Amino acid sequence: MNSIIYDTYTIFWRELKRYKKSRSGVLIRLIQPAIWIIVVGNIFSGTQSLIQSVGFDGEYIEFMAPGVIILTAIFTSIFGGVNTLWDRRYGFMNKALTSPISRSSIALGKMSAISLIAALQASLIIGIALAIGVNFPNPFMIAPIMAIVILFSLGFSGISVIVAATAKSQETFWGMINFLGMPLFMLSPALFPLELLPNWLAVIAKLNPVTYTILLVRELMTGVSEGGIPILLSLGVLFAFVIIMIGLASYVFTREVNKPF
Amino acid sequence: MFSIETKSLTKSFGDVIAVNDISFSVNSGEIFGFLGPNGAGKSTTMMILTTLLKPTSGKALISEFDVTSNAKKVREHIGYVQQETTVDEYLTGRENLLLQAKLNHIPKNEIDKRIDEVLDLIELSDKQNDSVVTYSGGMRKRLDIAGGLLHRPKVLFLDEPTVGLDIQTRRKIWEYIKKIHKEFDMTIFLSTHYMEEADNLCDRIGIIDGGKIQVIDSPENMKNAMGNEVISIIMDDNTSHNSFLSKLKEIRFVKNITEDGSKLTLFVSNGTQVIPKIFQISSELEIKINTISLTRPTLDDVFLSYTGHEIRDDDSHFNRRREHAKMKRMRS
Repeated sequence: MNSIIYDTYTIFWRELKRYKKSRSGVLIRLIQPAIWIIVVGNIFSGTQSLIQSVGFDGEYIEFMAPGVIILTAIFTSIFGGVNTLWDRRYGFMNKALTSPISRSSIALGKMSAISLIAALQASLIIGIALAIGVNFPNPFMIAPIMAIVILFSLGFSGISVIVAATAKSQETFWGMINFLGMPLFMLSPALFPLELLPNWLAVIAKLNPVTYTILLVRELMTGVSEGGIPILLSLGVLFAFVIIMIGLASYVFTREVNKPF
Repeated sequence: MFSIETKSLTKSFGDVIAVNDISFSVNSGEIFGFLGPNGAGKSTTMMILTTLLKPTSGKALISEFDVTSNAKKVREHIGYVQQETTVDEYLTGRENLLLQAKLNHIPKNEIDKRIDEVLDLIELSDKQNDSVVTYSGGMRKRLDIAGGLLHRPKVLFLDEPTVGLDIQTRRKIWEYIKKIHKEFDMTIFLSTHYMEEADNLCDRIGIIDGGKIQVIDSPENMKNAMGNEVISIIMDDNTSHNSFLSKLKEIRFVKNITEDGSKLTLFVSNGTQVIPKIFQISSELEIKINTISLTRPTLDDVFLSYTGHEIRDDDSHFNRRREHAKMKRMRS
């Protein structure tokens, strides 16, 4: 057990070192969520009355800010596993696989590094939101929000690591990731409250772990709960999702890297 | 005790047999080389020995540990330097070694000392804090090799250690490999398709071709077994030379002849007396000889005499099939 933690940290350390050296990417990856919050947040500002009809009395942009924070987390973490493909192509993976560290710790190290990076990106988006005038009633809530973002990204990066380990080419990876990322974001209350979704969509949204994460963040940020889903249920779903993804990702990763690339 | 031992090792990908019933053993402390063209099965064998691939059948032991049933133990005893340079470009030289040290569970209080030691050995101490992006190809390779040494493995695997490097750098890398071998007294298993490299570094060489080992011996013995001299004859393309060949075989000092298109290679023991006889026969049969040369045998000639083709001869039908299978495997 001790050595799994040590090995996971080794890979985590390496991923973060690499991230630090590619700083130009940080700003580029912020552009998309920034556009969402600035452009879409203002385009839909007229829907304030709709939002208010379900008990939310702030502006639309305040309603959707938690959605964009999670959007940042979704895309940073789901793209994050792509370097697994480079590692397999350029030999780092073989180097790690012929050393005594366990296969799972490679997957877990990558996932924890990705989740920290996703949290960093999300915190920058919170900064942008504050800068454009999103009201944040209780600033102390930032800490639990970040904790939730880290947890959520840990689980979500599992998807990325699984797809990267299974896909043998960049094309397959990006195809799969695009197929998964956008729908998971859209089928959630990120942009509009659950109550306003048609029934069948709401049912699908309730199967989506993204939904519960957004509800949690929104509740912490604005103090308004919606959809009649208690906080404990949301937390439970989030934890279950993370644990399942950790298990699944280490299993699939271990299985796939033992096959010739 | 043997450092490496294989018994009837076989690996097939679909219907292509990449490694075909290979048995050999490498003594502790030896530099052993696998010599063969691309696609001969060198890398596949190495990947089995380093636990990256599972053999289809047969057995392989590293320091008495089985590579399939005891892979984790094997990994603690080996260092593996791959054909491609695998150092992280974004990290500095020292950070790369630190990563390697952690991957191999070197005790914390030893790490700095060991890194200083290998940096000194490969003469990169002054560049250790520069990003690897700024390193030349030879420096990267040296760093890669250093990474394989840090944990002082019992067996160091070097897959084509100097492929793609210029000749000066290649010689420099050879020096480092010899230095490492002397300093740490480890077993080194390397694969190469450069004759000169095998000749220069290895105590013993296994010639591998088409997935099979053709011969294992020291480079000296191999060359001696060839006879003292080699005569190469290049004839006019369109002359039929069957009768010529059989006449040549009757000359007293000729030990062996290989035929490769219009090129004949004669392994002889008394070359200066053979050449006049060759001319005598060729004028009798009206065979036109374009060039003739007399040389000392090289490993090239050894390779030719065991495999019937030269090592650069990569385009045989068999290899094309193998490469095709490899591409398919990479894509699927």
